[in-house]
Amino acid sequence: MITVNTENKLDKIDVNALSEEQIALSIRDLDLYYGETQALDGITMDIPKGRVTAFIGPSGCGKSTLLRCINRMNDLVETCRVDGEILLHGDNIYDRSVDVAALRRKVGMVFQRPNPFPKSIYENVVYGLRLMGVNDRRTLDEVVERSLKGAALWNEVKDRLKESAFSLSGGQQQRLVIARAIAIEPEVLLLDEPTSALDPLSTLTIEELITELKSQFTVVIVTHNMQQAARVSDQTAFLYMGKLIEYTDTNSLFTTPSMKQTEDYITGRYG
Amino acid sequence: MNNWFKSGSPWIWMTAGSVSVALIAVLGLVALIAWRGLSFFWPADIYEFHFSDTERQTLIGEIYERERIPVTRLSDAGVDVSEIDDEFVVRYLVKIGNREFVPLDFTWVLEPDVVRLETPKDLVVLERARNGNFYGYLHDVLENGESVVTDQADIKVELRKRMQRALELRNEAEAISKGPIARINYQLDQLRLDRRRLELNNSYTDEAEAEIQAQEEALRNEYREVEQALFAVRAESERDGVVMIDMRGEQVRMSMNMVLNATWSNDINLLQKWGYFFSQIGKFLTEDPRESNTEGGVFPAIFGTVFMVLLMSVIVTPFGVIAAIYLHEYAGKNAITKLIRIAVINLAGVPSIVYGVFGLGFFVYMVGGTLDQIFYPESLPNPTFGTPGVLWSALTLAILTLPVVIVSTEEGLSRIPSAVREGSLALGATKAETIWRIILPMASPAIMTGLILAVARAAGEVAPLMLVGVVKSAPALPVDGNFPFLHLDRKFMHLGFHIYDVGFQSPNVEAARPLVYATSFLLITVIVGLNLTAIGVRNRLREKFRALEH
Repeated sequence: MITVNTENKLDKIDVNALSEEQIALSIRDLDLYYGETQALDGITMDIPKGRVTAFIGPSGCGKSTLLRCINRMNDLVETCRVDGEILLHGDNIYDRSVDVAALRRKVGMVFQRPNPFPKSIYENVVYGLRLMGVNDRRTLDEVVERSLKGAALWNEVKDRLKESAFSLSGGQQQRLVIARAIAIEPEVLLLDEPTSALDPLSTLTIEELITELKSQFTVVIVTHNMQQAARVSDQTAFLYMGKLIEYTDTNSLFTTPSMKQTEDYITGRYG
Repeated sequence: MNNWFKSGSPWIWMTAGSVSVALIAVLGLVALIAWRGLSFFWPADIYEFHFSDTERQTLIGEIYERERIPVTRLSDAGVDVSEIDDEFVVRYLVKIGNREFVPLDFTWVLEPDVVRLETPKDLVVLERARNGNFYGYLHDVLENGESVVTDQADIKVELRKRMQRALELRNEAEAISKGPIARINYQLDQLRLDRRRLELNNSYTDEAEAEIQAQEEALRNEYREVEQALFAVRAESERDGVVMIDMRGEQVRMSMNMVLNATWSNDINLLQKWGYFFSQIGKFLTEDPRESNTEGGVFPAIFGTVFMVLLMSVIVTPFGVIAAIYLHEYAGKNAITKLIRIAVINLAGVPSIVYGVFGLGFFVYMVGGTLDQIFYPESLPNPTFGTPGVLWSALTLAILTLPVVIVSTEEGLSRIPSAVREGSLALGATKAETIWRIILPMASPAIMTGLILAVARAAGEVAPLMLVGVVKSAPALPVDGNFPFLHLDRKFMHLGFHIYDVGFQSPNVEAARPLVYATSFLLITVIVGLNLTAIGVRNRLREKFRALEH
């Protein structure tokens, strides 16, 4: 049975009845098709501000696809088609007038495998700022220090900021990627199985980091590791076959699941 | 046996064998060319041939070649072979030089006709500015027609001293004619064009005429002064002379300013031979050609080749990379893109002479002709850009090598992991920003690979260049001290064409043969050098992006 860590959890809230100011993102009737195949089917949920939301479910259930909808990374897939809405500050991000680059600055993302750029550690962190045209040395230095501290990497790399990002270990690279994402101060941070390519110790560091991050950002994490979801998230959504089966606070979902499929999954009967 | 086949050993033997054959072929080729090319610079022994037929004149010269030929072939050719018993006979090809006194400076000598073959120590070979080498004995050194040799023991020292002086004066004269005289001529020509330009604009006023005339007058005066100086130097260099005794036993008198070098090849030790060898190579690399390319160095050809290849690289890289980016990143993945890609790849298979014809028709006549009409109407009917030149050559070769750059850049682009692209896009970069900041730097090793292949192909290409800009002898380099310093309209010399010209268009094929080998070896060296530079750059780039490979 999965034990839920309650120390780092925020107060329980009812995610299905959030007030306007508690909501960071609203997903409304979202359908997604890859060509003829339907990958997401009528997803509707609200993601609360300043908390960690986890998506869990068996492989191919659409949890990563759903996450990638939030910053429109699915646009890169040519055959992908989306119906429905995702509202950020009340505006549909799939509206034609939306500037995708600006959206992605507000909704940052960290991927499964660390993907640092072939540049120095310093240049990796300031990449997003340089894109925005910030070139003032002092500002950049400050942001680098703040972001690397925020990603719990500062003490390890502060003396070798000019070295290649590839000189870092896998876990450090993943924290660098997180630092890079938070350097441009997004509102929402999407984490797509951020620890699946890492060793247990690095995983632990990242998990602690996620708990820290929620004080500043709304965090959405996809994980296939239920223990991880139980450890780090405040509320959890269980997806199965492209449908949202159950979405409630983490404690309830893992201890008293209301749906049969959820119970089967968390007790290891499939997945 | 069956097991042996199954074990895969024959396969390994076969593959390794193919590699060995290729390797041996390449090494053998380079070794042959290097040997024949480099031995040209080695000081050869000078022989004196005495013949059994006392009527026949003694010969002095270098042995160029020894070959064994069947006697029957000689008798078929009408040579009297009654005294030869053997089936085969050895004959020598002898370079006897002294071009002004003999009809051919190469002659065949049959070994049985020779009674004595000597290498006297005081035989000397003079390298001359005109008429090639002179072989003979040093007899006297003159100043203003009077002998200055009091002691025969000092004659060599005296010759060296005066030769050195003549050489310095010669260099001085050359510096004048290449420096101030060339500059003044260039400026006079510019003034002529200025006048014509004003006439065409209908703004040719009396004041303008007066000003141009004043400038012309000033230049002409300057020219007269420089010319006086030049004549003085030339006259000075003709003060000394040297008297030689040639193989006929006659005294030959020549001016010291004709003599470039004197070598007692039979009387120098190994160290001096090496010194001579390297100084000859140095001259070959740095001097201008003489005697319609059969003597002297190949510096303008080296410069032209390297300059043209660099210019081509500068043109082809941006075009190829941009085209590859469009094809790979922006073009829809449909039939038309596929068709374009196939067309691009097939362009690489078009014979290069076809590109030459295209370059002549399109670049030279159409583009160049139009440029002339718009920008250089004053010099018409003399074309400026409407004639073959180094710019058109570089452009033609750029088109020729474009497919190579496009294909390897595209390959590089497709090797970049999508995770990196996504990482950049997720930080709010647009596609163009991602390409510019992430994709292109990461694809740079592949771009360099394309450029290496392009350079290798372009540097060796001769056929198209003959139509669009290469000449046998260019009066000036495409880069010089006259504004605007870079003259892309000029014709240039090229090592590849130089080989063809020296080897097949030369009046004296035997004399030119070693030059053909030496120039070929040099061309190979230049291409290898260009490639190694590019490979060095690529390896540094690879090192920079190394960690992405795993």
